Amino acid sequence: MNVAIPKTKAEQSLSEAFEANAAKLPGSAAVQAARATAIGAFNKLGLPHRRVEEWKYTDLRVNLKDALPPAVSDAALVTAADLAGALGGLAGLDATRIVFVNGSFRAELSDGAAIRGLEVQPLSRALTAAQDKVAEGLMRTSGPEGDATIALNTAFMTDGAIVRVADGATLAKPLLMVFATAGAAAQLTSVRNIIATGDGSAATVIEAHVVLDGAAASGQTNALTELTVGQSATLAHVKIAAGSGKSVHLANWNVSLGRDATYRGFQYTSGQALARNQINAVYAGVGGKLDLSGAYLVRGTEHVDTTLVIDHAVPQCESRELFKGVLDDRGRGVFQGKIIVRPDAQKTDGKQMAQALMLSPDAEFDSKPELEIYADDVVCGHGTTSAELDADLLFYCMSRGIPENEARALLIESFIGEALDKVEHDGLREALSRSANAWLSAAKG
Amino acid sequence: MLEIKNLHVKLADEDKQILKGLTLTVPKGEVHAIMGPNGSGKSTLSYVIAGRDGYEVTEGDILWNGESILEMAPDERAAKGVFLAFQYPMEIPGVAGLTFLRTAVNAVRKKRGQDEMTTPGFMKYVKEQAAKLNIDFEMLKRPVNVGFSGGEKKRSEILQMAMLEPTLCVLDETDSGLDIDALKIVSDGVNALRSPDRATLVITHYQRLLNHIVPDKVHVLADGRIQKTGGKELALELEKSGYAGYTGKAA
Repeated sequence: MNVAIPKTKAEQSLSEAFEANAAKLPGSAAVQAARATAIGAFNKLGLPHRRVEEWKYTDLRVNLKDALPPAVSDAALVTAADLAGALGGLAGLDATRIVFVNGSFRAELSDGAAIRGLEVQPLSRALTAAQDKVAEGLMRTSGPEGDATIALNTAFMTDGAIVRVADGATLAKPLLMVFATAGAAAQLTSVRNIIATGDGSAATVIEAHVVLDGAAASGQTNALTELTVGQSATLAHVKIAAGSGKSVHLANWNVSLGRDATYRGFQYTSGQALARNQINAVYAGVGGKLDLSGAYLVRGTEHVDTTLVIDHAVPQCESRELFKGVLDDRGRGVFQGKIIVRPDAQKTDGKQMAQALMLSPDAEFDSKPELEIYADDVVCGHGTTSAELDADLLFYCMSRGIPENEARALLIESFIGEALDKVEHDGLREALSRSANAWLSAAKG
Repeated sequence: MLEIKNLHVKLADEDKQILKGLTLTVPKGEVHAIMGPNGSGKSTLSYVIAGRDGYEVTEGDILWNGESILEMAPDERAAKGVFLAFQYPMEIPGVAGLTFLRTAVNAVRKKRGQDEMTTPGFMKYVKEQAAKLNIDFEMLKRPVNVGFSGGEKKRSEILQMAMLEPTLCVLDETDSGLDIDALKIVSDGVNALRSPDRATLVITHYQRLLNHIVPDKVHVLADGRIQKTGGKELALELEKSGYAGYTGKAA
């Protein structure tokens, strides 16, 4: 029985916003057609709600009350100093930068110099300049069919980075992709990155979503990154989503690993009123190694959801997941980790761990590990823990003269430290550690 | 001077009286030993001195240098010079030993009105103290006590003690889990800290530790009170005759 559910205000405004802005969104006729198809799909799907199994704990019909007008073109005045302020510890990182403000490429804030083995260009240019077929290809995703956040991204995306790392190239410096929210008007910013690394290459790519000082606090971001890791290539990928406390962050990573490829993904999330981080990973060749980890910090009524689907489609691949959340006040953390082991994916080795540190009795942690194993010669395991700060450890620290607030901070750092340690780049790990410390200090104030 | 006066302590969330009028004085410059059977309240006494939650003082007081410490948080007591070497030192995953030591040393120095230690000054001092206790410096780069053997944990406690320069040292069953070599190293570490400005309370079940750390006085704690006080020879007596005479039943 199908009962038509009335559209929510947000669903209604998203549909209307598309009609109003379609002509202004970049891309050839084929691209516009793909956008129209996507919004059509969204109109049918609506925002996901708790009766959709994958969204059981993160009901967008309830939690995304207002849809903001889409960012289409941007003229916000942003200086390098503004950007440095928002980037905090990342500002000093020795990296190749490409910068987007409100979803539009900013050449004047980006590095123009050529780097051997690295090709970076704004998606907006490719969508407009490329032949229809190519441009249409750029619109496709490898993500799950019927995902509303992906459909919305296709409909509204304005820009992003197309990144290619050449076969055999080893990038000396990380590529830092900055997505800054600026300006007094709160908007929905939709960006898409397409990253493909060549066989035998090695690279580190950072996605930093930051809010500039003075920008509207309640901005919404929908970010999708398509990643293809070449054969025997190594890719480290780190996303930092440091919000204002009122911002909304919807993110998708669709990862495909080539034969013997290594992919290390890390996500840091803080200050998001609502965040949903989806990672869909599939092994395209044997011998792939996937290591996903993350740390998220939640306070007030913030809500951070990490949803993973790891598809062991071929044999002899390895997956590791470690996600740690610090939950204060009435904050909520959600972890959903599905590991699928296909019938011929023998010798699969998968391990998953989700942990929450509950700083308040009103915080909530929902964890749903799912193993779907169809092969018989595999090693797969998962675990979930949620605990308060250890009173005995707190006493131990205090008995050594460390004041309670410092002792708490030390123990919280020690909790997320295990996840941060997954970030191999020293400068980046230290920058993340400083961000986490700043979050902890803010808690005291 | 440590003065414990008529101390009555019960568990906070259970109607169980553990200390029942314990009175004890340890002047500066002296080392006193408290010996007693299991369950006599030895560890409770050490925790109440250090300020652990979960105990309720129903009567009496603990004075350190004439000032009651019962209302002070554990970190304030540490700043006043109180140090407890734990029977079971805690592991703190994710916090490097050096970071922990430095945070503690500087927190205590700050509260005592001393300047924080500079990095080179701190490193030099840690290296010296660690070498004295036969602690591999590399171990201090690892998370606090994680993966340490029993002996390593106890040595790490004595290192913390040396670094924090307390004036009241309470050692809770420091000899448990130590082989004879480790016992000697730990005892030497404690003896090195003997000074006219420092009062030390050694809590132990067995006499053997007191061969190495020779006490000025020995107190027998049983059934929540000091039953007898004597010189170091009392420990030997106890080793021979046991605690049976103090508990009314065979130990």
